[in-house]
Amino acid sequence: MLMENTLPILLSRLDFAWITSMHILWTPLTIGVSWILFGLEVAWLRSGDERWYRLEGFFEKIFIVNFGAGVATGVTMEMAFGILYGPFSQAAGPFFGNILGFETITAFMYEAGFIGLMVFGWNKIGKGMHLFSTFNVAFASSLSAYWILVANSWMQTPNGVVLKDGIFQVTNWWHAIFNDNAIWGFPHMWVATMILGFFVLAAVSAWYILKNRHADLFIKMLKPAVLALLIVTPIQIWLGDSLGVDVAHSEPTSLAAMEGHYHTYLPDGKPNTGWHLIAFPNAKNDGNVFAITIPHVLSLLETHTWDGTVTGMDSFPAKDRPDVWVPFYAFRIMVAIGFFLFFMALWGTLLMMRGKFTVQGLRQRPWFLRLMVLSGFLPYLAIWTGWWTREVGRQPWVVYNIMRTYEGVSHMGVGQEIAWFAGYIVFELSVWAGAWYFFSKVIRKGPDLDSPLPGTTSDADNAVEAGGGMARPSFAKPALHSEP
Amino acid sequence: MDITHIATTLTTWWWLLLCLIFLFYIGLDGADLGAGIFALFSPDEEERGAIMASMAGIWDGNETWLVVAGGVLFGAFPLVYGSAFNYLMIPLMLALWGIISRAVAFEFHVHATGSKRFWGWAFAFGSLLAPFGAGLALGATLQGFPMHAGPAMAVHSPGLFVDSPVPHFSGTALTFLTPFSLFTGFGAVVAACLAGGLYLCARFEPGDVINKKAQTWTTFFSYLALMTIVVAIVWSYAIFPWAAAKWTGPNWWNWALVLVIVLFAAYKSMMAHTMQRDFTALLWGEGVVAILWFAMWATMYPYIVPDTWTISAAANPADSIAVFTLFMTGFVPVMIMYNWYQIWVFRGRYTKKASYMGH
Repeated sequence: MLMENTLPILLSRLDFAWITSMHILWTPLTIGVSWILFGLEVAWLRSGDERWYRLEGFFEKIFIVNFGAGVATGVTMEMAFGILYGPFSQAAGPFFGNILGFETITAFMYEAGFIGLMVFGWNKIGKGMHLFSTFNVAFASSLSAYWILVANSWMQTPNGVVLKDGIFQVTNWWHAIFNDNAIWGFPHMWVATMILGFFVLAAVSAWYILKNRHADLFIKMLKPAVLALLIVTPIQIWLGDSLGVDVAHSEPTSLAAMEGHYHTYLPDGKPNTGWHLIAFPNAKNDGNVFAITIPHVLSLLETHTWDGTVTGMDSFPAKDRPDVWVPFYAFRIMVAIGFFLFFMALWGTLLMMRGKFTVQGLRQRPWFLRLMVLSGFLPYLAIWTGWWTREVGRQPWVVYNIMRTYEGVSHMGVGQEIAWFAGYIVFELSVWAGAWYFFSKVIRKGPDLDSPLPGTTSDADNAVEAGGGMARPSFAKPALHSEP
Repeated sequence: MDITHIATTLTTWWWLLLCLIFLFYIGLDGADLGAGIFALFSPDEEERGAIMASMAGIWDGNETWLVVAGGVLFGAFPLVYGSAFNYLMIPLMLALWGIISRAVAFEFHVHATGSKRFWGWAFAFGSLLAPFGAGLALGATLQGFPMHAGPAMAVHSPGLFVDSPVPHFSGTALTFLTPFSLFTGFGAVVAACLAGGLYLCARFEPGDVINKKAQTWTTFFSYLALMTIVVAIVWSYAIFPWAAAKWTGPNWWNWALVLVIVLFAAYKSMMAHTMQRDFTALLWGEGVVAILWFAMWATMYPYIVPDTWTISAAANPADSIAVFTLFMTGFVPVMIMYNWYQIWVFRGRYTKKASYMGH
């Protein structure tokens, strides 16, 4: 059995996989939606149309709950490399630690410095400063994603380093930062966050139209969302394909696992070009027990030629082969979702072209709206499966082809690993259940259409007086706002 | 100047910055955490809600200094990051669970109706667990930890890194647990309680019910904190030869002076508190924390982790520390600036009736 699949190592992988999966539930939405909120704010300020502000205010409530969950699960991530993968952190520190340091300093703190102003600052700072804050939150969260993807991509394609005295020393920062995988990996992830953001907002809007509540307001959101998705969903498919081609070159074991591609050549000596729709790998991980195969498709996908050679698992020793089940099926789920989401964007655009994209027209097509609601959940699954493909496909390496996963695991006992896992199951599931419950509560309650617009209140209580503890009361507010 | 010398200098600078960033975390989030512990004794959700609302716009920025400290430790001292955090797994886990529950409670409490009470408690207990875990971790760090080179996991398989000279943590899950580390866990809770009390006094209007209770609370915890400081100093002197050697070494009068300044600042804080000059009391209180913190780091020098990692042994390769310095140093004042701006925008006093407005 692969060393990485023995219990202590497998548990350390599960420990890390769990907290990562539970963190990636939140941050992509923060990144995507923060840009959309910025767009809504610009639309409001430019057009003076109050409805953009109402939409922004409403989605901001979901945004901040989501943001809180992201912070709650994110602090753990920053510590978890050292806790669970200490020797990896030590060895990779001169590059990987630097990048994580860049992330916290340039992005995490940057975002935290403006989020309070963005959410709670509406009547305390001017409109221009507020827009600036919204922009900074959006920009900082994207920058954060960039550094994280650079770090993770470097684990897939560790360029620009040499190994010396047991640690990775950087010889070329340029190559290490713009490593092969990062060039496609970051855009692929970033566009995924935009797709998630647009689809979640589109799903909420579709739900309101379906329920005939505030339908006129929310169709104003749904329309640009669908149009934007018509642009980004095909871009994502192209980026995904490009990343796949890159992985085929730079990380062939990962690609072979994603495609369940065991044999580079067929028994007759010709390249094996078959793409499996479904495959059941055997227990020895050296072939498929059963597969539905379409010839030539694999070569078309990965080499963009009719019968180019794609390296299979048999080109590598058994101890260097990743598990196939997870990457193979996770990858297929992600791709299927990608195409389905493209189809939804197309469908919506066709309705627009035929003039049916009105409250009336859409309500006559409840299936479009229902599938739109479903499409709000699918990008989450696509992001999960995509990340699992990436991480499991890299095994048994933590730094591809240099450092094996078991070499990077901290010194800890199985009991500790189980305690971590059990505790985080409880805490992270509570976060998940709580956040989604409160999303639904905010959505059921509906947007606030009555509160005065920012900048129109002359409430003396809101005026900011001289600071410090000597300040006069500046935040005397009425009692707790009434619950529905 | 040769490259090693420059690298050592830069590394020492990062050690000082790390000290400063940890101090920001303790000073800023300590008050938030303490106010959360205060909320354990709140009679109703309105009061807990008001306490949460008073820090709604700033807690995230304050807490993020911890993440920055983690990032700087990883960026500048990966050898320490990868071994010390391994050693501190359980205390950090406890602190992180506390941070998780209070972070989400901030957002959930305001939207909750039926579960308001539950999230109120999650906020308060999280606020207690976080400083306890952090205090445990601090005490454990002062004790140092065992390390050896070789495979970290007991597996026998070939690999490039199995024979690496880099030392890993080699103790057990409970190596951190001693009477001293339990005491520092308790001490951190007391310190947070005091900071939280001072914060609440300054944050809520005089005469408001929260302000009144916080006044008594602060008086109680200022005496308890003084006792804790004395015990911590005596205990450290008894068990840490590296500390004893400095404190009663040839430069003993330096350390005596520090002690006098600490006592003076504590006295000023207590006086200001008695006269209800709350903001001044808070600043002097933070001053005590800052001086003690700097004194602790000065006592540890040249170690990052006493008897375990010296600054020079833990240094990153010259090239990495240079890049980190070049690109990151400039951001430290910028971070301080926007963190300060955010606190400035949300300054001022509250009343118990205050809460998230319509949020």
